[in-house]
Amino acid sequence: MKFSNTYIFIFTTVVVLICAIILTLASVGLQPFQQANRQKERMTQILTASGYKSIGDPIQFYNSVAEEREVEVLVDGKKEQRQMIQVKLRDSSYCYVFPLKGKGLWGPIWGYIAVKDDGNTIQGAVFDHKGETPGLGDEISTERYAAQFEGKLLFDQLGVFQSIKVVKGGVANSNIDPNHGVDAVSGGTITSQGLETMIAKGLEPYIPLLKQINKKD
Amino acid sequence: MSIKKYFGPLSKNNPVLVQILGVCSALAVTAQLKPAFVMALSVTVVTGFSNLVISSIRKMIPPRIRIVIQLVVIATMVILVDQILQAFFYDMSKMLSVFVGLIITNCIVMGRLEAFAMGNPPLPSFLDGIFNGLGFGLVLIVVGFIRELLGSGTLWNVQVIPTSFYEAGYMNNGLMMLPPMALLLIGVMIWIQRS
Repeated sequence: MKFSNTYIFIFTTVVVLICAIILTLASVGLQPFQQANRQKERMTQILTASGYKSIGDPIQFYNSVAEEREVEVLVDGKKEQRQMIQVKLRDSSYCYVFPLKGKGLWGPIWGYIAVKDDGNTIQGAVFDHKGETPGLGDEISTERYAAQFEGKLLFDQLGVFQSIKVVKGGVANSNIDPNHGVDAVSGGTITSQGLETMIAKGLEPYIPLLKQINKKD
Repeated sequence: MSIKKYFGPLSKNNPVLVQILGVCSALAVTAQLKPAFVMALSVTVVTGFSNLVISSIRKMIPPRIRIVIQLVVIATMVILVDQILQAFFYDMSKMLSVFVGLIITNCIVMGRLEAFAMGNPPLPSFLDGIFNGLGFGLVLIVVGFIRELLGSGTLWNVQVIPTSFYEAGYMNNGLMMLPPMALLLIGVMIWIQRS
């Protein structure tokens, strides 16, 4: 059978429309489930950053220890509302979790950094990504990688914000103070740089707040 | 009509071992049994149903644009599978990450559409797709089984190698966790299957 150009156009349009409708329905229909999953994952990540591991039901547990707060911070001279999560730890001290967003090599990366109530020491961290290279950049989302951040300091002895440097070639082989640096991911240079920028940029607006937390003690 | 003639892909005409198709994802997702299983299931669903759809409309598809139409159908199926995984098997979908999306480019799917679904009625096409998916899945599961057992001492995330072995000096083989080992394993499987 010979197909005319008009037929081809109509046929393609119909096929594509049908596929589009199916996908739209699926996407809309499954949205609530996907959102619930993401919400649960967010809670688990915040709890993991605070040092709670292998807890039963994250939602219930989260609601019992975490308190979400909106804080006003200055970003590039403009006032903005940012989120901060206060988590009660087992020894009934508090840690403060800050959500971070940044760019990796292929897409967005994000994470949570929990700071102890001295406003300086990192309690823990969790990072995640949308589509970093498997086996290379995506290493940032492993527990082993995030464990490096535990105990690192955000401020130096003079009280100047140092952030955390992500050092290519390893902190041990550089002249960076090991209190303020972690190792980069081998084969994931751009992801590592994105991570460093994300931490520095993401925590910067919270500096006054962190200093305030520090003074309270 | 006997169902036996569809069994070819399981061994004699296995898509991975004989046609050497779909090796990329076979290397990437087989470090553990569970993702290998989910991947196998996803590919089976995609090959089965895209074969069914293409075969039902095969006489309406203008030959000049058949590849485009095939891709549209495959892509739709894959996105559906991805959405369902994200909704109900979230951890799994995170573990498989980009590889679910990459089913679109898996040569097995398009190969079966071109070679079989374009010239056969819907039911045989559907079965052909399912068995090709299963043939692919079989290899994934065998590789996943060996890699997880020797690489982490677990199966389906359950510890199977007793701790006394570790105390006696047994160590997990770290190489098993890396993609090159999957390539070697598939090579060995090809060798066994052909000899």
